[in-house]
Amino acid sequence: MSKFSVMVFFLILVGLVFVGQIAEIFIPPLDWMFNAHIYIVPVIVFYGAMTLPFPLMLCLAFVAGFLWDAMTVQVLGANVEISFGWSILLYAVLAAIMHGLKPLFDRGRWEVHCVLSGVCTSLILLAQYLMISFRRGSIFFDREVWWQIGGPGLLAMLMAPLVFWSLHWLSRLTSNPYHQDEEGFDEFASR
Amino acid sequence: MSRSSIVALVLFAVALLALLSIGPQATRKIQATFFQTIAPFLKTGSGLERQITSVRSGLKSLEELERENSALRVENRSLKATNEALRDVEHEVNRLRHALNYRERSLFRLVPAEVVSRDSSTWWRTVTINRGEEDGLAPEMPVLTDEGLVGRTTTVSANIAVVLLVSDENCRVAASVEGTREQGIVTGERVAASVSPLLDLNFLSKQAQLKPGQKVYTSGVGGVFPSGLFVGAVRSFQVRGLDAQAKLVPAVDLAKLEDVFVVIGRK
Repeated sequence: MSKFSVMVFFLILVGLVFVGQIAEIFIPPLDWMFNAHIYIVPVIVFYGAMTLPFPLMLCLAFVAGFLWDAMTVQVLGANVEISFGWSILLYAVLAAIMHGLKPLFDRGRWEVHCVLSGVCTSLILLAQYLMISFRRGSIFFDREVWWQIGGPGLLAMLMAPLVFWSLHWLSRLTSNPYHQDEEGFDEFASR
Repeated sequence: MSRSSIVALVLFAVALLALLSIGPQATRKIQATFFQTIAPFLKTGSGLERQITSVRSGLKSLEELERENSALRVENRSLKATNEALRDVEHEVNRLRHALNYRERSLFRLVPAEVVSRDSSTWWRTVTINRGEEDGLAPEMPVLTDEGLVGRTTTVSANIAVVLLVSDENCRVAASVEGTREQGIVTGERVAASVSPLLDLNFLSKQAQLKPGQKVYTSGVGGVFPSGLFVGAVRSFQVRGLDAQAKLVPAVDLAKLEDVFVVIGRK
Protein backbone atom coordinates (compact mmCIF):
# COMPACT_ATOMS: atom_id res chain seq x y z
CA MET A 1 0.00 0.00 0.00
CA SER A 2 2.76 2.45 0.92
CA LYS A 3 4.66 1.79 -2.32
CA PHE A 4 1.44 2.35 -4.22
CA SER A 5 0.90 5.66 -2.41
CA VAL A 6 4.42 6.81 -3.21
CA MET A 7 3.90 5.95 -6.88
CA VAL A 8 0.59 7.85 -6.92
CA PHE A 9 2.24 10.93 -5.45
CA PHE A 10 5.18 10.59 -7.84
CA LEU A 11 2.82 10.43 -10.83
CA ILE A 12 0.98 13.49 -9.54
CA LEU A 13 4.29 15.35 -9.35
CA VAL A 14 5.17 14.24 -12.90
CA GLY A 15 1.79 15.54 -14.07
CA LEU A 16 2.35 18.83 -12.26
CA VAL A 17 5.80 19.19 -13.78
CA PHE A 18 4.27 18.73 -17.23
CA VAL A 19 1.48 21.23 -16.53
CA GLY A 20 3.97 23.66 -14.96
CA GLN A 21 6.23 23.46 -18.00
CA ILE A 22 3.35 24.29 -20.34
CA ALA A 23 2.08 27.05 -18.00
CA GLU A 24 5.53 28.70 -17.96
CA ILE A 25 5.19 29.34 -21.71
CA PHE A 26 2.13 31.50 -21.15
CA ILE A 27 3.46 33.43 -18.16
CA PRO A 28 4.96 36.61 -19.60
CA PRO A 29 8.40 37.74 -18.37
CA LEU A 30 8.42 40.58 -15.85
CA ASP A 31 9.32 43.78 -17.64
CA TRP A 32 9.95 45.62 -14.35
CA MET A 33 12.46 42.94 -13.33
CA PHE A 34 14.66 43.24 -16.44
CA ASN A 35 12.55 40.67 -18.27
CA ALA A 36 13.03 37.92 -15.63
CA HIS A 37 11.03 34.73 -16.23
CA ILE A 38 8.92 32.88 -13.69
CA TYR A 39 9.85 29.22 -13.22
CA ILE A 40 7.50 26.92 -11.32
CA VAL A 41 8.89 23.53 -12.30
CA PRO A 42 12.16 23.71 -10.31
CA VAL A 43 10.20 24.35 -7.10
CA ILE A 44 8.02 21.28 -7.75
CA VAL A 45 11.09 19.15 -8.50
CA PHE A 46 12.86 20.32 -5.34
CA TYR A 47 9.81 19.50 -3.23
CA GLY A 48 9.79 16.04 -4.83
CA ALA A 49 13.49 15.71 -3.99
CA MET A 50 12.66 16.04 -0.31
CA THR A 51 9.62 13.79 -0.18
CA LEU A 52 10.33 11.01 -2.69
CA PRO A 53 12.74 8.11 -2.34
CA PHE A 54 16.07 8.51 -4.18
CA PRO A 55 15.18 6.45 -7.32
CA LEU A 56 11.93 8.33 -7.88
CA MET A 57 13.67 11.63 -7.19
CA LEU A 58 16.06 10.79 -10.06
CA CYS A 59 13.11 9.91 -12.31
CA LEU A 60 11.41 13.23 -11.54
CA ALA A 61 14.64 15.15 -12.25
CA PHE A 62 14.94 13.21 -15.52
CA VAL A 63 11.39 14.08 -16.60
CA ALA A 64 11.76 17.77 -15.67
CA GLY A 65 15.14 18.10 -17.39
CA PHE A 66 13.90 16.25 -20.46
CA LEU A 67 10.88 18.56 -20.80
CA TRP A 68 13.01 21.67 -20.33
CA ASP A 69 15.52 20.54 -22.96
CA ALA A 70 12.81 19.44 -25.38
CA MET A 71 11.41 22.95 -25.23
CA THR A 72 14.53 25.05 -25.22
CA VAL A 73 17.48 23.28 -26.86
CA GLN A 74 18.49 25.14 -30.01
CA VAL A 75 19.46 23.13 -33.08
CA LEU A 76 21.16 25.54 -35.47
CA GLY A 77 22.08 23.92 -38.77
CA ALA A 78 24.34 21.04 -37.88
CA ASN A 79 25.00 22.18 -34.32
CA VAL A 80 23.20 21.83 -31.01
CA GLU A 81 24.00 24.77 -28.77
CA ILE A 82 23.68 22.93 -25.45
CA SER A 83 23.43 19.16 -25.82
CA PHE A 84 20.14 17.54 -25.00
CA GLY A 85 20.48 16.15 -21.47
CA TRP A 86 22.39 18.90 -19.66
CA SER A 87 19.29 20.14 -17.87
CA ILE A 88 18.62 16.59 -16.67
CA LEU A 89 22.09 16.48 -15.14
CA LEU A 90 21.66 19.91 -13.54
CA TYR A 91 18.29 18.97 -12.09
CA ALA A 92 19.61 15.64 -10.80
CA VAL A 93 22.64 17.17 -9.07
CA LEU A 94 20.65 19.96 -7.42
CA ALA A 95 17.78 17.63 -6.48
CA ALA A 96 20.30 15.22 -4.94
CA ILE A 97 21.64 18.08 -2.79
CA MET A 98 18.10 18.89 -1.66
CA HIS A 99 17.48 15.20 -1.04
CA GLY A 100 20.53 15.16 1.21
CA LEU A 101 18.97 17.92 3.30
CA LYS A 102 15.76 15.94 3.76
CA PRO A 103 16.31 15.33 7.53
CA LEU A 104 16.31 19.09 8.05
CA PHE A 105 13.02 19.36 6.16
CA ASP A 106 11.56 16.54 8.27
CA ARG A 107 12.44 18.50 11.40
CA GLY A 108 10.41 21.44 10.12
CA ARG A 109 13.23 23.68 8.87
CA TRP A 110 11.29 24.25 5.65
CA GLU A 111 12.55 27.83 5.29
CA VAL A 112 16.04 26.53 4.45
CA HIS A 113 14.57 24.59 1.52
CA CYS A 114 12.48 27.53 0.34
CA VAL A 115 15.65 29.62 0.16
CA LEU A 116 17.55 26.75 -1.46
CA SER A 117 14.81 26.31 -4.09
CA GLY A 118 15.45 29.88 -5.18
CA VAL A 119 19.22 29.47 -5.08
CA CYS A 120 19.05 26.23 -7.09
CA THR A 121 16.74 27.81 -9.70
CA SER A 122 19.28 30.58 -10.15
CA LEU A 123 22.10 28.02 -10.30
CA ILE A 124 20.38 26.24 -13.22
CA LEU A 125 20.16 29.54 -15.10
CA LEU A 126 23.73 30.45 -14.22
CA ALA A 127 24.97 27.09 -15.51
CA GLN A 128 23.02 27.55 -18.75
CA TYR A 129 24.40 31.07 -19.14
CA LEU A 130 27.97 29.86 -18.63
CA MET A 131 27.45 27.09 -21.19
CA ILE A 132 26.04 29.38 -23.88
CA SER A 133 28.73 31.98 -23.16
CA PHE A 134 31.36 29.28 -23.62
CA ARG A 135 29.77 28.22 -26.91
CA ARG A 136 29.36 31.76 -28.21
CA GLY A 137 32.86 32.76 -27.26
CA SER A 138 32.41 35.72 -24.94
CA ILE A 139 31.30 36.21 -21.39
CA PHE A 140 30.06 39.27 -19.56
CA PHE A 141 28.11 39.91 -16.38
CA ASP A 142 26.18 43.14 -16.36
CA ARG A 143 23.14 44.20 -14.33
CA GLU A 144 20.70 42.61 -16.81
CA VAL A 145 22.47 39.25 -16.66
CA TRP A 146 22.41 39.21 -12.86
CA TRP A 147 18.73 40.09 -12.81
CA GLN A 148 17.88 37.40 -15.34
CA ILE A 149 19.72 34.84 -13.23
CA GLY A 150 18.80 36.13 -9.78
CA GLY A 151 15.26 37.35 -10.54
CA PRO A 152 13.73 33.93 -11.26
CA GLY A 153 15.51 32.54 -8.17
CA LEU A 154 14.07 35.30 -6.03
CA LEU A 155 10.60 34.64 -7.41
CA ALA A 156 11.00 30.88 -6.88
CA MET A 157 12.02 31.60 -3.27
CA LEU A 158 8.87 33.67 -2.75
CA MET A 159 6.67 31.06 -4.44
CA ALA A 160 8.20 28.11 -2.60
CA PRO A 161 6.23 28.32 0.71
CA LEU A 162 2.91 28.33 -1.16
CA VAL A 163 3.96 25.58 -3.58
CA PHE A 164 5.39 23.47 -0.72
CA TRP A 165 2.23 23.94 1.31
CA SER A 166 -0.01 22.94 -1.63
CA LEU A 167 2.12 19.92 -2.48
CA HIS A 168 2.30 18.91 1.15
CA TRP A 169 -1.48 18.95 1.26
CA LEU A 170 -1.58 16.80 -1.90
CA SER A 171 0.99 14.47 -0.42
CA ARG A 172 -1.13 14.02 2.67
CA LEU A 173 -4.20 13.43 0.50
CA THR A 174 -2.46 10.59 -1.31
CA SER A 175 -1.30 9.07 2.01
CA ASN A 176 2.32 9.39 0.99
CA PRO A 177 4.25 7.41 3.64
CA TYR A 178 6.76 10.26 3.84
CA HIS A 179 4.44 11.73 6.45
CA GLN A 180 5.00 8.82 8.84
CA ASP A 181 8.42 10.02 9.89
CA GLU A 182 7.85 13.73 9.73
CA GLU A 183 7.32 15.91 12.76
CA GLY A 184 8.04 19.55 12.31
CA PHE A 185 6.64 20.03 8.85
CA ASP A 186 3.16 19.33 10.24
CA GLU A 187 3.50 22.58 12.11
CA PHE A 188 4.22 24.47 8.92
CA ALA A 189 1.44 22.74 6.99
CA SER A 190 -1.15 23.38 9.68
CA ARG A 191 -0.40 27.12 9.80
CA MET B 1 22.94 3.51 -0.30
CA SER B 2 20.32 0.83 -0.95
CA ARG B 3 20.45 -1.59 -3.88
CA SER B 4 17.47 0.02 -5.58
CA SER B 5 19.17 3.43 -5.38
CA ILE B 6 22.33 2.07 -7.01
CA VAL B 7 20.31 0.41 -9.79
CA ALA B 8 18.37 3.68 -10.33
CA LEU B 9 21.61 5.66 -10.44
CA VAL B 10 23.14 3.32 -13.03
CA LEU B 11 20.01 3.40 -15.19
CA PHE B 12 19.88 7.19 -14.87
CA ALA B 13 23.53 7.52 -15.90
CA VAL B 14 23.05 5.24 -18.92
CA ALA B 15 19.95 7.13 -20.09
CA LEU B 16 21.69 10.47 -19.57
CA LEU B 17 24.80 9.43 -21.49
CA ALA B 18 22.63 8.15 -24.32
CA LEU B 19 20.82 11.49 -24.51
CA LEU B 20 24.02 13.55 -24.23
CA SER B 21 25.55 11.68 -27.16
CA ILE B 22 22.74 12.19 -29.66
CA GLY B 23 23.35 14.41 -32.69
CA PRO B 24 21.45 17.38 -34.09
CA GLN B 25 19.16 15.31 -36.32
CA ALA B 26 18.01 13.07 -33.46
CA THR B 27 17.63 16.12 -31.21
CA ARG B 28 15.43 17.76 -33.84
CA LYS B 29 13.35 14.58 -34.10
CA ILE B 30 12.85 14.39 -30.32
CA GLN B 31 11.89 18.06 -30.21
CA ALA B 32 9.55 17.75 -33.19
CA THR B 33 7.80 14.76 -31.60
CA PHE B 34 7.56 16.59 -28.29
CA PHE B 35 6.09 19.76 -29.84
CA GLN B 36 3.67 17.65 -31.86
CA THR B 37 2.52 16.00 -28.61
CA ILE B 38 1.99 19.26 -26.76
CA ALA B 39 0.54 21.11 -29.78
CA PRO B 40 -3.08 20.77 -28.56
CA PHE B 41 -2.10 22.22 -25.16
CA LEU B 42 -0.24 25.11 -26.80
CA LYS B 43 -3.14 25.93 -29.11
CA THR B 44 -5.68 25.77 -26.27
CA GLY B 45 -3.40 27.86 -24.03
CA SER B 46 -2.92 30.42 -26.78
CA GLY B 47 -6.69 30.76 -27.25
CA LEU B 48 -7.21 31.20 -23.51
CA GLU B 49 -4.40 33.74 -23.32
CA ARG B 50 -6.04 35.85 -26.06
CA GLN B 51 -9.40 35.72 -24.30
CA ILE B 52 -7.87 36.78 -20.97
CA THR B 53 -5.93 39.62 -22.62
CA SER B 54 -9.10 40.82 -24.32
CA VAL B 55 -11.07 40.81 -21.03
CA ARG B 56 -8.22 42.58 -19.21
CA SER B 57 -7.99 45.38 -21.77
CA GLY B 58 -11.78 45.81 -21.55
CA LEU B 59 -11.59 46.21 -17.77
CA LYS B 60 -8.85 48.80 -18.07
CA SER B 61 -11.09 50.94 -20.28
CA LEU B 62 -13.91 50.69 -17.78
CA GLU B 63 -11.63 51.99 -15.03
CA GLU B 64 -10.78 55.01 -17.14
CA LEU B 65 -14.44 55.67 -17.81
CA GLU B 66 -15.23 55.55 -14.11
CA ARG B 67 -12.65 58.23 -13.42
CA GLU B 68 -13.87 60.42 -16.23
CA ASN B 69 -17.54 60.47 -15.43
CA SER B 70 -19.06 58.60 -12.53
CA ALA B 71 -22.59 59.76 -13.33
CA LEU B 72 -22.53 58.13 -16.75
CA ARG B 73 -20.73 55.01 -15.58
CA VAL B 74 -23.45 52.50 -16.27
CA GLU B 75 -24.25 53.86 -19.68
CA ASN B 76 -20.58 54.17 -20.58
CA ARG B 77 -19.94 50.62 -19.48
CA SER B 78 -22.45 49.14 -21.89
CA LEU B 79 -21.33 51.40 -24.74
CA LYS B 80 -17.72 50.56 -24.11
CA ALA B 81 -18.45 46.83 -24.11
CA THR B 82 -20.25 47.11 -27.46
CA ASN B 83 -17.45 49.22 -28.93
CA GLU B 84 -14.83 46.82 -27.66
CA ALA B 85 -16.54 43.89 -29.33
CA LEU B 86 -16.85 45.81 -32.61
CA ARG B 87 -13.26 46.99 -32.41
CA ASP B 88 -12.08 43.42 -32.02
CA VAL B 89 -14.00 42.41 -35.14
CA GLU B 90 -12.70 45.43 -37.07
CA HIS B 91 -9.14 44.72 -35.97
CA GLU B 92 -9.48 41.09 -37.04
CA VAL B 93 -10.90 42.06 -40.47
CA ASN B 94 -8.17 44.66 -41.05
CA ARG B 95 -5.47 42.27 -39.96
CA LEU B 96 -6.63 39.49 -42.28
CA ARG B 97 -7.18 41.89 -45.21
CA HIS B 98 -3.69 43.28 -44.71
CA ALA B 99 -2.21 39.78 -44.58
CA LEU B 100 -4.08 38.68 -47.70
CA ASN B 101 -2.93 41.73 -49.67
CA TYR B 102 0.66 41.21 -48.65
CA ARG B 103 0.55 37.55 -49.56
CA GLU B 104 -0.83 38.35 -53.05
CA ARG B 105 1.71 41.05 -53.91
CA SER B 106 4.72 39.24 -52.43
CA LEU B 107 7.41 37.76 -54.68
CA PHE B 108 7.61 34.71 -52.48
CA ARG B 109 5.43 31.70 -51.90
CA LEU B 110 4.22 32.35 -48.38
CA VAL B 111 2.50 30.16 -45.83
CA PRO B 112 0.51 32.21 -43.31
CA ALA B 113 0.86 31.14 -39.70
CA GLU B 114 -0.34 32.22 -36.28
CA VAL B 115 1.91 32.56 -33.24
CA VAL B 116 0.69 30.10 -30.60
CA SER B 117 3.29 30.60 -27.89
CA ARG B 118 6.28 32.75 -27.04
CA ASP B 119 9.67 31.89 -25.59
CA SER B 120 9.59 30.33 -22.15
CA SER B 121 13.32 30.43 -21.53
CA THR B 122 15.66 33.13 -20.35
CA TRP B 123 18.47 32.76 -22.86
CA TRP B 124 16.75 31.97 -26.16
CA ARG B 125 14.17 34.01 -28.06
CA THR B 126 11.74 31.87 -29.99
CA VAL B 127 8.05 31.62 -30.84
CA THR B 128 5.96 28.64 -31.85
CA ILE B 129 3.70 28.83 -34.92
CA ASN B 130 0.77 26.66 -35.93
CA ARG B 131 2.19 25.40 -39.24
CA GLY B 132 4.57 22.53 -39.93
CA GLU B 133 5.79 19.90 -42.38
CA GLU B 134 2.24 19.23 -43.57
CA ASP B 135 2.09 22.84 -44.81
CA GLY B 136 5.42 22.62 -46.63
CA LEU B 137 7.63 24.01 -43.87
CA ALA B 138 11.19 22.82 -43.23
CA PRO B 139 14.00 23.95 -40.92
CA GLU B 140 15.96 27.09 -41.89
CA MET B 141 13.15 28.87 -43.72
CA PRO B 142 12.78 32.67 -43.38
CA VAL B 143 9.81 33.98 -41.42
CA LEU B 144 8.48 37.50 -41.96
CA THR B 145 5.50 39.81 -41.76
CA ASP B 146 4.46 42.58 -44.11
CA GLU B 147 6.58 44.91 -41.93
CA GLY B 148 9.85 42.97 -42.20
CA LEU B 149 11.96 40.06 -41.05
CA VAL B 150 10.93 38.01 -38.01
CA GLY B 151 13.42 35.12 -37.94
CA ARG B 152 13.84 31.59 -39.24
CA THR B 153 12.41 28.17 -38.52
CA THR B 154 14.46 25.69 -36.52
CA THR B 155 12.50 22.66 -35.33
CA VAL B 156 9.56 21.68 -37.52
CA SER B 157 7.04 18.98 -36.68
CA ALA B 158 3.91 17.88 -38.55
CA ASN B 159 1.82 20.96 -37.80
CA ILE B 160 3.82 23.11 -35.43
CA ALA B 161 7.18 24.84 -35.81
CA VAL B 162 9.67 26.77 -33.70
CA VAL B 163 10.88 30.13 -35.04
CA LEU B 164 14.20 31.57 -33.86
CA LEU B 165 13.61 35.32 -33.70
CA VAL B 166 15.94 37.84 -35.27
CA SER B 167 16.43 39.24 -31.73
CA ASP B 168 18.26 36.04 -30.67
CA GLU B 169 22.04 36.17 -30.67
CA ASN B 170 22.17 32.95 -32.71
CA CYS B 171 20.02 34.25 -35.55
CA ARG B 172 22.69 35.91 -37.71
CA VAL B 173 21.51 37.80 -40.76
CA ALA B 174 23.75 39.21 -43.48
CA ALA B 175 22.52 42.73 -44.13
CA SER B 176 23.25 45.87 -46.10
CA VAL B 177 22.45 49.49 -45.33
CA GLU B 178 20.17 51.50 -47.61
CA GLY B 179 21.97 54.09 -49.73
CA THR B 180 25.47 52.83 -48.85
CA ARG B 181 27.77 49.95 -49.71
CA GLU B 182 28.03 48.99 -46.07
CA GLN B 183 27.40 45.36 -45.22
CA GLY B 184 27.36 43.67 -41.86
CA ILE B 185 25.86 40.93 -39.73
CA VAL B 186 22.72 41.56 -37.70
CA THR B 187 22.44 39.67 -34.41
CA GLY B 188 20.27 39.97 -31.34
CA GLU B 189 21.53 40.71 -27.85
CA ARG B 190 22.34 37.78 -25.57
CA VAL B 191 20.49 39.29 -22.68
CA ALA B 192 17.41 41.32 -23.38
CA ALA B 193 16.32 43.64 -20.61
CA SER B 194 12.96 44.32 -22.25
CA VAL B 195 10.41 42.46 -24.34
CA SER B 196 11.39 44.52 -27.41
CA PRO B 197 15.19 44.45 -27.52
CA LEU B 198 17.36 46.22 -30.08
CA LEU B 199 19.48 44.48 -32.72
CA ASP B 200 23.22 44.86 -33.35
CA LEU B 201 24.61 45.44 -36.84
CA ASN B 202 28.26 44.42 -36.52
CA PHE B 203 31.38 44.44 -38.72
CA LEU B 204 30.69 47.80 -40.38
CA SER B 205 33.60 49.90 -41.60
CA LYS B 206 34.70 52.75 -39.33
CA GLN B 207 33.91 55.24 -42.08
CA ALA B 208 30.28 54.13 -42.37
CA GLN B 209 28.85 57.12 -40.43
CA LEU B 210 25.31 55.78 -40.43
CA LYS B 211 22.51 58.15 -39.50
CA PRO B 212 19.50 57.37 -37.31
CA GLY B 213 16.56 56.21 -39.41
CA GLN B 214 18.60 54.61 -42.21
CA LYS B 215 17.04 51.32 -43.20
CA VAL B 216 18.81 47.97 -43.12
CA TYR B 217 17.83 45.13 -45.47
CA THR B 218 18.91 41.51 -45.84
CA SER B 219 21.72 41.21 -48.39
CA GLY B 220 20.93 37.65 -49.44
CA VAL B 221 24.39 36.38 -48.49
CA GLY B 222 24.37 33.10 -46.56
CA GLY B 223 21.52 31.36 -48.33
CA VAL B 224 18.81 31.39 -45.66
CA PHE B 225 17.32 34.86 -46.11
CA PRO B 226 16.53 36.28 -49.56
CA SER B 227 17.78 39.80 -50.24
CA GLY B 228 15.66 42.90 -49.75
CA LEU B 229 13.80 42.03 -46.55
CA PHE B 230 13.54 44.95 -44.15
CA VAL B 231 15.40 44.09 -40.92
CA GLY B 232 15.33 47.35 -38.99
CA ALA B 233 16.20 51.03 -38.84
CA VAL B 234 19.41 52.50 -37.41
CA ARG B 235 19.02 54.06 -33.99
CA SER B 236 22.66 54.79 -33.14
CA PHE B 237 26.13 54.28 -34.57
CA GLN B 238 29.42 53.83 -32.75
CA VAL B 239 33.00 53.22 -33.84
CA ARG B 240 34.82 50.44 -31.96
CA GLY B 241 38.43 49.27 -31.95
CA LEU B 242 38.53 47.42 -35.26
CA ASP B 243 35.12 48.07 -36.74
CA ALA B 244 31.88 49.96 -36.16
CA GLN B 245 28.52 48.88 -34.84
CA ALA B 246 24.99 50.20 -35.26
CA LYS B 247 22.03 49.57 -32.97
CA LEU B 248 18.84 48.84 -34.87
CA VAL B 249 15.19 49.09 -33.97
CA PRO B 250 13.65 45.86 -35.35
CA ALA B 251 11.30 46.32 -38.31
CA VAL B 252 8.73 44.14 -36.58
CA ASP B 253 7.47 44.60 -33.03
CA LEU B 254 8.45 41.13 -31.86
CA ALA B 255 6.60 41.52 -28.56
CA LYS B 256 3.27 41.83 -30.36
CA LEU B 257 3.64 39.18 -33.04
CA GLU B 258 0.33 37.60 -34.01
CA ASP B 259 0.47 36.56 -37.66
CA VAL B 260 3.57 35.71 -39.66
CA PHE B 261 4.46 34.26 -43.06
CA VAL B 262 6.94 31.50 -43.74
CA VAL B 263 8.80 31.78 -47.05
CA ILE B 264 8.68 28.34 -48.66
CA GLY B 265 10.05 29.42 -52.06
CA ARG B 266 9.77 31.94 -54.89
CA LYS B 267 6.67 32.39 -57.06
